[in-house]
Amino acid sequence: MAIIDDVRSIVAESLKIPVERLTPDTRLEELGVESLDVIEIVFALEEKFDIAIPLKADEATRLTTSGKSGSQDMPFATVGDVADIVQKLVAAKVSP
Amino acid sequence: MNRVVVTGIGVVSPIGNTCKKFWSGLVEARSGIGPISNIPTDRLSTRIAAQVLDFDPSQHFGPKRENLLDRFSQFAVVAARAAVKDAQLDITEEIALQAATIVGNGAGGQNTVDDSYLKFYGQNAPRVHPLSIPRWMLNAACSQISMDLGLKGPTYTIASACASGTHAIGLAFQSVRTGQAPVALAGGTEACLTVGTFKCWEALRVLSADTCRPFSRTRSGIVLGEGAAMFVLETRERAVARGAPIYAEILGFGMSADAHDITAIDPDGAARAIRAALSDAKVNPEDIDYVNAHGTGTTLNDKGETVALRKAFGASAERLAISSSKAVLGHSLGAAGALELAATALALRNQTIPPTANFEETDPDCDLDFVPNTARNAPIRNAMSSSFAFGGLNAVLVLGRAG
Repeated sequence: MAIIDDVRSIVAESLKIPVERLTPDTRLEELGVESLDVIEIVFALEEKFDIAIPLKADEATRLTTSGKSGSQDMPFATVGDVADIVQKLVAAKVSP
Repeated sequence: MNRVVVTGIGVVSPIGNTCKKFWSGLVEARSGIGPISNIPTDRLSTRIAAQVLDFDPSQHFGPKRENLLDRFSQFAVVAARAAVKDAQLDITEEIALQAATIVGNGAGGQNTVDDSYLKFYGQNAPRVHPLSIPRWMLNAACSQISMDLGLKGPTYTIASACASGTHAIGLAFQSVRTGQAPVALAGGTEACLTVGTFKCWEALRVLSADTCRPFSRTRSGIVLGEGAAMFVLETRERAVARGAPIYAEILGFGMSADAHDITAIDPDGAARAIRAALSDAKVNPEDIDYVNAHGTGTTLNDKGETVALRKAFGASAERLAISSSKAVLGHSLGAAGALELAATALALRNQTIPPTANFEETDPDCDLDFVPNTARNAPIRNAMSSSFAFGGLNAVLVLGRAG
């Protein structure tokens, strides 16, 4: 399974929404995600892929504050951004 | 309705266990935050905390008693004894039967929990310490104070996370004001700097790796702390009659709930608690000179608290001197409100505003006078101490000068 599909299913499961609603371009903000949802999603991804995603609650809050997400200091804004980060961290893990 | 005064203060804190050391640390902005040394850190990403390092339980308890008390109860009893001594209070049988003992606490005996679970899950030990429950229970600290000092009146624990200490003192204030108790022993205690607790806080992603910088643009989160502060409250009439030293008068207490979010501050809820305290105290916003803020050092809290202060104080917010003691004391959760009320009472008595330590840069989102880094001698007529807890539970006290 591609990482993007795992990310989609984890986000869908966490937010209790159908996975079909999620494309790589879906913005987390549009889904009504709250900062604690982001922290739970990040935790589920860390567990699933055995990685550590550096994210602070303050960033999760900014991420979910309408109009501010996607700014340069933010690690991710869309489902696709999340998959990219996971991809990089998984790659970093296997490379020597 | 009785007037209620503070006649005794006892502290156990990361900057010292006497009021003198405590106050000088706050005024000199000498932070008690440092490298974690009391527990192993190999499985933690956190490296810093505000630990109580200068505390040897064997100096305060015989071996049999020490064995019965988790660290959070030890702190509470030592602070309570100091408060009673400070107040020069003679606990007669009459006082003992009526005095209230109300203690705020957030986490209970976490050192006991952590030790027990490490042995059971981690080391496959077949059994845990036989006194785990009496050490662990949240009411252990207030029960141990009651037993230690022989206080037999209304005695209970309040758990409202980071507002526990303030709620406990507020309820004690109401008991003395209404005449239910002539004297009250009240405050907060916390000692939960265990590996397990740190892991849980790390998972919430709110801890700072740097240090605690309340209201500074460069702030990066909470630094956990520990400690206790206890107060002797009594009617002003009684205190004056016995010639007791008076630190300050408690003028009012306000509470509210946000009914909004389990972690984020709601400026409306916080402002309602501030207004309720001012109204209870019959003090106008322009008559408060100093606010000891909740100021945790997270982006969200400090911004929301600034909004709340503006909402509640209106134009008077501009002339307030505001500081957070958490840069020096860390965030001791259920003890925080009590330690910060001690800071507030000492500020009134010394007519000196303790600064917000570790302050680097002004934040446009926190655009009030946060007294950065340097203490200020200024007349303080009335002061406020506020606590805004996880779960949206708010508690605010208003203090006036002893006079």
